[in-house]
Amino acid sequence: MADNCGDEFEEENNKEKKSSRLTPPRGFSENEEDDEDDDSSETDSSEEDEEEEHGAPLEGAYDPADYEHLPVSAEIKELFQYISRYTPQLIDLDHKLKPFIPDFIPAVGDIDAFLKVPRPDGKPDNLGLLVLDEPSTKQSDPTVLSLWLTENSKQHNITQHMKVKSLEDAEKNPKAIDTWIESISELHRSKPPATVHYTRPMPDIDTLMQEWSPEFEELLGKVSLPTAEMDCSLAEYTDVICAILDIPVYKSRVQSLHLLFSLYSEFKNSQHFKALAEGKKVFTPPSNCTSQAGDAETLTLS
Amino acid sequence: MILSRAKPAVGGEPPQTNKRKKKGRKIPKLEELLSQRDFTGAITLLEFKRHVGEQEEDTNLWIGYCAFHLGDYKRALEEYESATKEESCSPEVWVNLACTYFFLGMYKQAEAAGFKAPKSRLQNRLLFHLAHKFNDEKKLMNFHQNLQDITEDQLSLASIHYMRSHYQEAIDIYKRILLDNREYLALNVYVALCYYKLDYYDVSQEVLAVYLQQIPDSTIALNLKACNHFRLYNGKAAEAELKSLMDNAPSSFEFAKELIRHNLVVFRGGEGALQVLPPLVDVIPEARLNLVIYYLRQDDVQEAYNLIKDLEPTTPQEYILKGVVNAALGQEMGSRDHMKIAQQFFQLVGGSASECDTIPGRQCMASCFFLLKQFDDVLIYLNSFKSYFYNDDIFNFNYAQAKAATGNTSEAEEVFLLIQNEKLKNDYVYLSWLARCYIMNKKPRLAWELYLKMETSGESFSLLQLIANDCYKMGQFYYSAKAFDVLERLDPNPEYWEGKRGACVGIFQMILAGQEPKETLREVLHLLRSTGNTQVEYIIRIMKKWAKENRVPV
Repeated sequence: MADNCGDEFEEENNKEKKSSRLTPPRGFSENEEDDEDDDSSETDSSEEDEEEEHGAPLEGAYDPADYEHLPVSAEIKELFQYISRYTPQLIDLDHKLKPFIPDFIPAVGDIDAFLKVPRPDGKPDNLGLLVLDEPSTKQSDPTVLSLWLTENSKQHNITQHMKVKSLEDAEKNPKAIDTWIESISELHRSKPPATVHYTRPMPDIDTLMQEWSPEFEELLGKVSLPTAEMDCSLAEYTDVICAILDIPVYKSRVQSLHLLFSLYSEFKNSQHFKALAEGKKVFTPPSNCTSQAGDAETLTLS
Repeated sequence: MILSRAKPAVGGEPPQTNKRKKKGRKIPKLEELLSQRDFTGAITLLEFKRHVGEQEEDTNLWIGYCAFHLGDYKRALEEYESATKEESCSPEVWVNLACTYFFLGMYKQAEAAGFKAPKSRLQNRLLFHLAHKFNDEKKLMNFHQNLQDITEDQLSLASIHYMRSHYQEAIDIYKRILLDNREYLALNVYVALCYYKLDYYDVSQEVLAVYLQQIPDSTIALNLKACNHFRLYNGKAAEAELKSLMDNAPSSFEFAKELIRHNLVVFRGGEGALQVLPPLVDVIPEARLNLVIYYLRQDDVQEAYNLIKDLEPTTPQEYILKGVVNAALGQEMGSRDHMKIAQQFFQLVGGSASECDTIPGRQCMASCFFLLKQFDDVLIYLNSFKSYFYNDDIFNFNYAQAKAATGNTSEAEEVFLLIQNEKLKNDYVYLSWLARCYIMNKKPRLAWELYLKMETSGESFSLLQLIANDCYKMGQFYYSAKAFDVLERLDPNPEYWEGKRGACVGIFQMILAGQEPKETLREVLHLLRSTGNTQVEYIIRIMKKWAKENRVPV
């Protein structure tokens, strides 16, 4: 049991005195240690019942003497004797204390006892002094961080056993899912694009980006490249475009198409051609071709 | 073919969807992670290093350190246990292992490991706290004497003061250290915790704000803030504080999760108590008490008693609860022993310096005197905090009884009538005391109506006796006669006839005195006739004679 009352700081913090600290119970002087409130202790109107002692005759109780004056016959007077002949019992009633059930009690935890393991290198960590010894709420996601570390170490062959976390009540926790998607896409953005190893010889991108012959360039000024409107199958159209761009087509067109789109992407991201395209829009054969490859929707529709 | 294309297909700036990329992300260093207290990140990094073979000698100790401060003591234990099994292990690791055991609640193991460690400040602090856990005062004093006037030792001592409810001593230590080390921000939280325990919630909030200003997302500090709000305002305000904490922390954040789940039950008035609290019993000290409170509110006194009977009380709250449970059980079973225990606990809390001026302390004193049947004293205490409980049925139930017991039946009647709870209103204690108040306040008809509403039972029989005798005493012979008449039918005890006879003559006297209408005489005769006693004819004859002389129709 606490045996310190805390009067000392009560003085210094007078104004914050909590409402749960009460003034001394009124009219109970044995227990008093406070003197602030003694003006109200004796003059309490709500305690007029105090004069009423338990043993005192009940107020308003029947008293036969009140009726002795009644002008009645001797016969009736005798009859009245019956009233006093019965003495009403004093019936003791039980009391029942309904105990005051306390409020629920929140938990605040204990205070740092400085029973904490030190850093292995013996340097001070100031935990529990400068900051509370508690983890910050912003903890790294171990899975994401591991992926970053693996990525960063350039040792892609590491097959680390990674705990893949699962999420309970995922539908109730869209925030966690968003965070996860965001961090993974962030990771992916930072990765270099995946390289594809072609099974058959393919020209390299730089070769493909060379200018066409002047004659061809000139022709392009008058005639546009075949569009996807052409009356042919997608496969045939692919062959035509690849032929124009000097991309060989082998048995499967997938690798040729990969090269085609890599070429497009290269043009699209090239600062040089960007400037060129802005300068003279008409005469830009490579960009012309890319603009078509770029209209992927058109390509697939035909 | 699209000719109207406005945006150049090439050259137009592609929309910057990936702004984030600029921010980039570099691989964090261990020191950075530690300084951000991102111990999860630190462990991941250390594990990765261990995996790729980059590990330095004491990677396991670093992982142990991080897991410990993350609050993942099981993980820390694994690392330290395996470390102590290595031959090259430094003996200092034993004290780390001991600390870990301590936080896992494995005090015996903690002590054994602690003794294997070389003497150090940390070892002494640990053994000091263990002595406290084992209630070994002698050892406690020994280790206490070994504490030095250095910050960590003093803070460790303060924490013992806190656990022993010596909050002022703890505050003194914190304030002294803060005086020389303003930068020790965390100490503000410790002071705030002490003020919270002392019920100075406003002061606690003020001191706490100093810390939260610097570290706004601190779990411990925000939880304390929520608790202060609970005490100052209500559960809703408190829950709002916790909610911001839960929203900001990722779902995988385990630290203090149990504490928060526990407090949510508290703030929601016990909602989910049976799901959340049982597994937390003996993990969070308050969980057992709250479960007891929950059962008490459900009127499941036996279950409440089972949970608390073996608890050795140390805090005022524990004493109060033990008192409440014993009082409830004692009255339910009619056990004097339980009542005695309850009364002693109430006296202990209510008379203590720390609680005598709090509402719970005053409640204890009132309860104590109530059990001792010293109702004048009960009233003194109840009056001192009645303004907080105007519409509280439990308060009014006790208050009205105390008023009635001290003879103030008119106020008692008023207070009884404030009670809304049906269960309380059907309690025989309520009915009998209210009936008595009605009779004393000259409203015998209302008392009679209380009887009429009751089912026939032992209690309704008792109420009849009460009405018959109390009314007789008060000269309210009409209802006394009616009650005696029923009693006589139920139990042909000559005493009931005597009572009825006297009451009937009493009514006659009242008629003669002009205090009862003359017409009542007819009913009196009717009541008398229902008894087959020879005296009946004699009495009736006299009454009839009078009626004839006074022209009263009978």
